[in-house]
Amino acid sequence: MNKIHIGIILRVLGILLCFEALFMFIPTIVSFFYQEPDRWAFLISSIVTLAIGGTLAYRLRNCRQPMGRRDGILLGTVVWIVFALMGMLPFLSICNSFTDAIFETVSAATTTGASIFKNIDYLPHGILLWRSILQWIGGIGIILFTVAVLPMLNHRGGMILLSTEVSGIGQYKLSPRINQTAMKLWLCYFIFTVILCMLLYAGPMTFFDAVCHSLSTMATGGFSTHNESIGYFHSAYIDYVITIFTFIGGINFAIIYRTVMSDHTFIFRTEQVKWYTNLIIVCTIVFTIGLYTQGTYGSIEQSFRNALFQVCSVITSTGFSTCNTLDWGPFYSLIMLMLMFFGACAGSTSGGAKIDRMVILTKNARNEFNRVLYPNVIRPVLYNGKALSHETVSKILAFTIMYVIVWIMGAVILTLQGANMGEAVYGSLSALSNMGIGIGSDAGGFYSDISLGAKWTLMSLMIIGRLEVFTAIIIFMPLFWKKS
Amino acid sequence: MRIVIAGAGEVGLHLAKLLSRENLDVVLVDSNDDVLSEVENNYNLIAITGNPTSFDTLKNAGVAEADLFLAVTPYETRNIVACTIASSLGAKKTVARIDNFEYLSNESRKHFKSMGVDDLIYPEKLACEEVFAAMRHTWARSWFELHDGALILIAVKLRDNASILNRKLYELTSNSNLFHIAAIKRHNHTIIPRGNDEVLQGDIVYFTTTPEYVEGIREICGKEQVNVKNIIILGGSRIAIRIADTVGDNVKIKLIEKDREKSYRLVEKMRNVTIIQGDARDEELLSEVGIADTDMFIALSDSSETNILACLTAKQMGVPRTVAEVEDIQYITVAENLNIGTVINKKLIAASHIFQLLLDADSSNAKCLALADAEVVELIAKPGSKITRRPIKELNLPSDMTLGGVIHDGVGTIVSGNTVIQENDHVLVFCLDTALSKLDRWFG
Repeated sequence: MNKIHIGIILRVLGILLCFEALFMFIPTIVSFFYQEPDRWAFLISSIVTLAIGGTLAYRLRNCRQPMGRRDGILLGTVVWIVFALMGMLPFLSICNSFTDAIFETVSAATTTGASIFKNIDYLPHGILLWRSILQWIGGIGIILFTVAVLPMLNHRGGMILLSTEVSGIGQYKLSPRINQTAMKLWLCYFIFTVILCMLLYAGPMTFFDAVCHSLSTMATGGFSTHNESIGYFHSAYIDYVITIFTFIGGINFAIIYRTVMSDHTFIFRTEQVKWYTNLIIVCTIVFTIGLYTQGTYGSIEQSFRNALFQVCSVITSTGFSTCNTLDWGPFYSLIMLMLMFFGACAGSTSGGAKIDRMVILTKNARNEFNRVLYPNVIRPVLYNGKALSHETVSKILAFTIMYVIVWIMGAVILTLQGANMGEAVYGSLSALSNMGIGIGSDAGGFYSDISLGAKWTLMSLMIIGRLEVFTAIIIFMPLFWKKS
Repeated sequence: MRIVIAGAGEVGLHLAKLLSRENLDVVLVDSNDDVLSEVENNYNLIAITGNPTSFDTLKNAGVAEADLFLAVTPYETRNIVACTIASSLGAKKTVARIDNFEYLSNESRKHFKSMGVDDLIYPEKLACEEVFAAMRHTWARSWFELHDGALILIAVKLRDNASILNRKLYELTSNSNLFHIAAIKRHNHTIIPRGNDEVLQGDIVYFTTTPEYVEGIREICGKEQVNVKNIIILGGSRIAIRIADTVGDNVKIKLIEKDREKSYRLVEKMRNVTIIQGDARDEELLSEVGIADTDMFIALSDSSETNILACLTAKQMGVPRTVAEVEDIQYITVAENLNIGTVINKKLIAASHIFQLLLDADSSNAKCLALADAEVVELIAKPGSKITRRPIKELNLPSDMTLGGVIHDGVGTIVSGNTVIQENDHVLVFCLDTALSKLDRWFG
């Protein structure tokens, strides 16, 4: 029962790589279209990925053991590593080192959006598109896509696998069968991306920019095609459109699907969306008034637009920027640090500790105060009208504590690599919550100047953050490998 | 196909788990949140918390698009109400589990049909049928007839007096081709045997055969056919009353009931049965009742432990055939390993009956029997499928499946290496769980 089935893990891995290779052919075609020097690198990378994936999937086609819990968890983590290893191949042609190439890939796939390129305006089209595609796949999850199309995963193993990737508390089943649920989520994601792309193209954006930005906005990733990020376009229209879609990207897709398809008021009744929206509104008002009175921006509209954009960008862990927020002052940076920690709804493409958990913890804390005075009153945490069990609350407490510990440990390691305290604390959380913007030399999301060790630290944090701590860490525990 | 199951009790859960492994959309409705979240996290189905007799809950569960609505909560009135609501909401077919035998009569069925309850499941009746099957073939563990008995699947537990022990399968079948050993259950594992495998003492062997050779199998297994004349039943449950009602005059029944008050009422209901009040685990009482002449001991009391123990005692005192009702699912394997001839569980019987109903609707393949880690499936060889192209020995079938027999134009035959499967033949396939997905490739 507790044996790990290497065969089936490698087989599914092989199939996943085949999908990755298919996605990789898209930038390959683009770079052939633009006749760019890295086109051969792309072609070779896609073929290598396809060959490895195809060989694994074909040679192990007879491995049909049922996938157990351990297999699912192991695969869920290994997928990200292998996915990044293959995804980095095209970057090798233009990066200085292996570390840089893999950093860029991990940062993309985990939708962090931290880049090692100093000047992205001059990057070839293929590479820019590949970065955005990686974010887009990583945003909703490579496994979700695979579960949707592969009948083989349409059983218990597929569910375990999917639960490693989708936030534990954000799972709603939309259909009885897991592949239908995955398909619906994926379709929802795809349609939003297409709509966004058309809206951006209608504004002052080239088609290529519109595609790249729509991919990375829906994934709440944050890779732009320009150094100045969204600020490059100097367009209020673009700012608002992107703001709205990062906001959507921070809502649980299952909730959106249900609202659109059947229960049209569902979204207004869910607590996480209420809190998420209210938090954004409050912070935006505070930011607007603050920025306007301190005179950063001339008009109130400009203050409001930048405030809203930045709040949405940070709470959904996107990491786009329209301006240099460091100029605003430390008050704003700290509020943003808090928002980054909170994150948006579970089950969305955003990072962070997820607002659902924060709401539950806040309610639990309030109940504890109550218990001081009235120890015998029964007061469970009511969330969306349901009384949560103690186990659920304690799971969330454990998650939050682990999250903070990983954050602090990350910061400590970063200070060893020469970062100052602010940079370390901010950078560590930025990577863990898959946001990608720092406050030091890494301010705009550019990490080219940091040391080798720091890059690897940040990469680990990104993957731990994307897999919501437990899945990523448990495979390093003796407990996981011990036969019980 | 969408199936809504109301009630996550043992029947509901068992069915939901079974069905979710097939390619079916399963929705499970119950008011107990704890059970549901556990099932939902581990199985490919959707669980909805709520009262199964509430319009809102049922709408939420998508009853309107349901092809089948199963009400299997422990309460029959609730089941019937749930079914009427479901059919008014648009469920195509509804099935309710009931506890009352008179509901099965034709007039009652008509009445229920008009209320929107299409089918009724009465687990006690099914359990009763199971007991009769055990009574007819006392020497077999299970007995399954295909196509009105054209092929028969028999499971036998081998003891030291069986003549086929420790012999290789190819020796057994080389001179005759009258039976096929399709599977062996040994220490809770199912083996699909090859020619070089041996049968050992304590194995449960699954034979497929044609009706003429049934007696031959009984002989080589060293079993005696017992003509059941005297039965002792423990516990005056509804199943016991059903058995006494239907068994006929040739069989004498003695019923042991613990409760004095109940014994009096049983006398009124069961006129031709001798009712004895006492504890059936007591050896003295048993010998007083005449256990020595008894052919079959059926333990049907409310307590699974009592039933198992009483059967063991009866077995020790020489009763050739024992049947125990074991309602705690956890005890079933234990009971089977303790050499109790037949273990019946109302919930599992009801669940597998419903499952069978479902599969009958989809006539292209039917599951006959589910063992712990293997399945027996009846498949129809589609025209042009891989299985029909060559004689079996040249086909190179995977080692985790075997063909038990073929029914061609209603006549059953045992498969040998030279058999060629014809189009539209019904084939009985034994396969381990690992091979299930391969079946399509051979028969599709």
